[in-house]
Formats: sequence, C-alpha cells, structure tokens
Amino acid sequence: MANDNREDFLNFIAEKSGRPRHQLADHPFTPINDLPETTLADKTPAELFTLAQENSEAEHVTFKAVASADLPGLLDGIIAEKKVQSLLLPTDSRIAAYGLTDWAAEQTPAPVYWNPQGTRDENIQRAQDADLAVGCVDFLCAEAGTITVATTPGQGRSFHFLPTHYVALVPQSRIVPRSRQAMDWYDAEIKAGRLHTSNINFITGPSNSGDIEMVLVVGVHGPIDMTYVVLTDQ
Amino acid sequence: MGLETSKDPFLTRVKQSEKDTFMQKSVAKAQDAQWDKREAARKELGHWQDWRNLGEQIRQHVIKYLPDYLEEFADNVEKRGGHVYFAKKDTDAVNYITNLAKEKHVQRVVKSKSMVTTEIDLDKALLKIPGMNLMETDLAEFILQEDDWDEPTHIVFPTLHKNRDQIREVFQKLGYEGDNDPTHMARFAREYLRRDFLQADMGITGCNFAIADSGLINLVTNEGNADLTMAIPKTQVVVMGMERLVPSLKEAEVLDNMLSRSAVGQKLTSYCSFSGEQVAGESDGPEDLHVVILDNGRSNALGTPFESVLQCIRCGACLNVCPIYRHIGGHGYGSIYPGPIGAVLSPVLDGYEKFGDLPFASSLCGACTETCPVKIPLHRLLIKHREVMMDKLKTDKAFNKAIMKGIGMGTGDPALFQMAMEFDHSATLPFVSKKPTSVENLYNHEGHITHAPSMAKGWTDVRDAPRPPKHTENFRRWYKDHEAQKGETTDGE
Repeated sequence: MANDNREDFLNFIAEKSGRPRHQLADHPFTPINDLPETTLADKTPAELFTLAQENSEAEHVTFKAVASADLPGLLDGIIAEKKVQSLLLPTDSRIAAYGLTDWAAEQTPAPVYWNPQGTRDENIQRAQDADLAVGCVDFLCAEAGTITVATTPGQGRSFHFLPTHYVALVPQSRIVPRSRQAMDWYDAEIKAGRLHTSNINFITGPSNSGDIEMVLVVGVHGPIDMTYVVLTDQ
Repeated sequence: MGLETSKDPFLTRVKQSEKDTFMQKSVAKAQDAQWDKREAARKELGHWQDWRNLGEQIRQHVIKYLPDYLEEFADNVEKRGGHVYFAKKDTDAVNYITNLAKEKHVQRVVKSKSMVTTEIDLDKALLKIPGMNLMETDLAEFILQEDDWDEPTHIVFPTLHKNRDQIREVFQKLGYEGDNDPTHMARFAREYLRRDFLQADMGITGCNFAIADSGLINLVTNEGNADLTMAIPKTQVVVMGMERLVPSLKEAEVLDNMLSRSAVGQKLTSYCSFSGEQVAGESDGPEDLHVVILDNGRSNALGTPFESVLQCIRCGACLNVCPIYRHIGGHGYGSIYPGPIGAVLSPVLDGYEKFGDLPFASSLCGACTETCPVKIPLHRLLIKHREVMMDKLKTDKAFNKAIMKGIGMGTGDPALFQMAMEFDHSATLPFVSKKPTSVENLYNHEGHITHAPSMAKGWTDVRDAPRPPKHTENFRRWYKDHEAQKGETTDGE
C-alpha cells in the first residue's frame, strides 16, 4: 500500500493553483484577532463555576459539586439511584488523589478497572459490560459545559463511550472559560513531549440525535446520561 | 450512490419534489427551528462578524498553502505510524480501500457519517467483497441504508424527508416491535448497532478537519458513533477531501465552535474528538490507520474564481436559509451536496453537463452568503457559474448563435426594429388573457401573456408576462409626445 503518488498529487495542485510549493515556512498562520482567547477570559472563578453549571444543565447533564470528603457518599447515591451492578474505574492516580482508594476497595461487587496491561478485547469488554463508568477528566469548559479528556493507558477511548451511565470527576481548579484554554494546554503538552496520547475527547453532555423528525433523543450510541462532579477542594 | 443521485432531468426532479408535501413541511419546520437556534447561538458568542473574519482567514490561508499543509499533515500521520494515500479520482480511493479490506481479510465494517464516502460510492464497492458486512452507524444514515439506500436530503439532517411512521416501518423489518416514539426507535438502533461495533474489524470515518502540525483527525458528532468507530476496530480508514485541513489544534477549536453553532445551533456538539493511531500503552484505538486524501474534482476550483468554495466546512447553514431548498428539498438538486453550496460545488466537481442546472436553482437573494460562517460568496459564485456557462457552453451552440444573430439584425436595422415595434402588440394576441387589471397584471395593455410559446414558455409557466403596448401607446411615442408638450409649455412661459 505504498504512497508513491504523493509528489505528483502535490505538484499537480500547486500547478493548478498557480502558486509554488514550500512557501508556508515564510508565511505561517497568524490569526487576525484574539477572540478565542479573550472571550469570557474576564470571568472570575466563581462566575465560571456558575456558568459551567448553567451550561452543563442546559446540555442535560446532572451537575454536582462536593468536597472530596463527601465524594464517596455522592457516588454511593448515584450507584443506588441507577441500580448499578457493574462499575468501571480508570487506573489513574487521580482516583487516589480524590480520596477514593478505600471507597473503591469496599465496593460490592468489586469495581473493574481499565487495565493498562490488559488486552484490547479485555478492556473493551469491561467497558461494554459496565453499567457505570467514573472517569477522571482534565478540564471543564464553562462556556458550553464541556469536559475534556485525553486517552491514557489507564483510561482508554471506549471507557467514555460504551458504559450506559457516566460520571466525570473534575477539580474546580480545572474549570476554564472556553474550549480554547483546554486546547492550548493539550497543544503545549503534546508539543513539549509531556503528553503522549492518540486521542483527545471534548464531550458536551450525553450522546443525542435529532435524526427522527428533529425530535431530540438523549442517549444514542454513547452513555444515555452524564453526571459532572466538581470537586470543590481540588 | 456517488455524487449524482438521479439521472432524471432537473425539472422532473423539481416536480417530483413539489409533490412531497411532507418533505416541504419538514424542511420548512427545520429551517425555522434552526434559524432560531443558530442565531441565538451566534448572538450568545458575540462579535459574530469578527469570528466569521477569523474563520474565513483560517480557511483561506489553508487553501492558499494547500500543498504545504497536505505535506505537513501527511508527514505527521506517518510519524505517528499511520499511512496516507493521495487519491486523484474517486475510483483511486475506492480501489485503495477495497484492496486494503481484502488484504486484511476484513469481514465487518462500521462507518460513521461521511459525505465524502457517499461521494465516491464506497459502501457499494465494499459490499461487493464476498462475505462483507457493512453498517452505517449514524442513526440517519442507518435508516437510509436499511431503507434500500435511500438518498440523503440534507448535509446535516439526511432523513429530513422521512416521518416517524416510515422509519418505524424500516425498523420493523429488522425486528423492532415498538411504537413510533423517536426515543424508543433510537434505543433499538443503539442495541442493534452495538453488536456491529463490537465485532467490527474495520472502521471508516470522514474528517471534519485534519490537523496539519500533529497528524490528528478532528471529528464533530452528537451521537458518539464516530468515536466508537475510531475506538473499537483495529483498522481505521479516514476519507477526507483534500481541502479539509487546519494548521493546528487551535484553529480546529475555532472552527469546531463555528461549525457547531452554524450547523445545529449548539455551542459545541456532544463529541469533538482529535484522534490518530494508537500510541504505546493504549489498548484501544486503531492499530493500523489509513488516511485517504481525495481530489476528485476539487482541484478544478484552484486558481479560478471558484476557489473560495473550498473554504466550506459543511455546516449546512446555507441550506437552512435557502428559499429554493425550502421548496424543492435535497432530492430536487440531484446531487449529494444540495442547497446553495451544492449548486456551487457540484458543477466544480463534476462539470456543467451533469450539474449545469443547479446554478439557476437560486433566487440570488444572498441569504446563503450572509449566513456562511467562513464567508463564501455563494450567490456571487452562482452568478459566476452562469457567466462561465454562457461564455463557454451556450455561445458555442449553433441554435443560440442563430438567435443572437437574429436579434442583432432586428435591433441593428432601423426599418426592422420599427416594424417589430409596430406589430409586437398584435402579434401577441394569440397568447393573451384579458382578465381585468389587478395587482398581478398591473401593466395591462388589453390583456397580459399567460402562455407564451417556445423559450418564453418557461417564464409564463410560473408567472405572467406583460403584453407589449400598442404602437400608438409605446414608450417612444409617449416620450415624443411628452417632449413636444414640454416644448409647448416652455414656449408659453
């Protein structure tokens, strides 16, 4: 499957456009305005929290805010409410940082983990079998109620899509104005070599569709509901 | 299906569409609802015109340096372990993908919604492979597939022409026993398609934007099927138009925001993903990624007045404001790219012989140009198409040449011109209706023309034409009398 036609292809379109190749280095893209960075940038942390809550709830998200000490109780309530029989957790240092190590060890039945040493089929099947996944996400963008998460060995892609219900844990300190601030962080981390990932997800509420008579249906291929839990002391 | 969705002549397609009153009502309802949502989302963002300027700048910059961006993107995909194939024509792309499927003994393919794979008619080609099972997993595309590959009618809402009872009938063939509630039917599709996801060995997606400086693919969806398509199968194929690039993740973030607001009136869609080949330590995601970059006529726009059509981000906003689309729906256009953008793009991709009627399917009101988030001058491009066709095609035809020559002789010879002025009123008598003067026939000279012959029939089929006045009442006579009268008045002062 060799790609032996690349030069012909590129030369052809350069000729058609009447412009020579290899000019970009001297003409890098420079945006004409800074709206992506400055929009909502003047909001205080308290204002961003309120905005994040309003916009998340507008996207059919259940929005909760608790201190880490109260997180286990909150999760127990969600598990009981949704009649969860199988719980999926990430292999992620943030689970311990949020004080969930003991809580996870006491769960009955025991939670399953997205296993960094597991095979593709094992991890996908675990996500498929899970009633609920509790994920650790990187940012909450206030403007649209968007959580963002990069794929890691301990928290794969399917983790966020196959389970029926989904809870996202995010520190309050990681609420940012817009998707731009989150994207700037990913861009910098990848370019600095600190983040090795094949995938970044920006997720705004549960999956939905308007394909049947434009009637909004919440819960299509991805989780049928979502809960964001903001950790107020993190 | 390919780019062309119907072999019927344009007027036949229009008449068929006009009979579909459910479609017309659905389109009108969708346009009105989307107007409210779209405008509210843009207003909420603020400074919309400045955002448009930024969107236009990003897209124009990419098109200007397209070979360089393609080269950078391809290098970065390959650095990540992926493969890039440059396809000049649709058949090149189809052959590459079908050969790949055969080499890897693929038996189960899941696809997420992709206009470009419809453009190259990929599904039908893959299904010719013995034993192949292929599922479209976007809810609307799944419905169209199971309804014997029905045509999409909208770029963003492909099943706009179907009501819930028709969809229920489609699902009943698959074993659905529930009612026509959209939520129940969507849940059925979720369960039905989940099995296909879990068994798939190849996933095929389109591409909203390809990130040049990282080699990642950006997909924007609401259902989550694209993410499952990128997560579960070991092999992933991405098919993208060659213009669908952005310099970096930052510009993708700008355009995702503009796309979501313009397409569905959301601040962001449920899922905006940036994805490449699996990296070490990860257990899902594609182990083998192939990106197919397609020309298929797009290069016809480069270096021409139509170059700006390549700025398109496929939001469909121009469809949602178009009065012609409102009347004839997507099927009337006969192209998988309908509406104003389709009327500009389809002739660029595949010529005037097939799509020369489409630039005339416009009132030239300019609403499409006004709403376009990346400022494509759509209605001006439609006019440009008409100019090009008149210059390059029509004037070559002997019939038109003869007509223009006749008109030239008539208007160039004073005697012939005078004769025409004398007799045009009486010559139109056989085609005249003598209804009393009203607002619809205000310029009434003893009737108005309702059924003209030959070329003028196209006009009088849909509207009346004024009848030329008697030679004693025509403009020249009136002007002469007026001047004489003015002279008398001046003389009397």
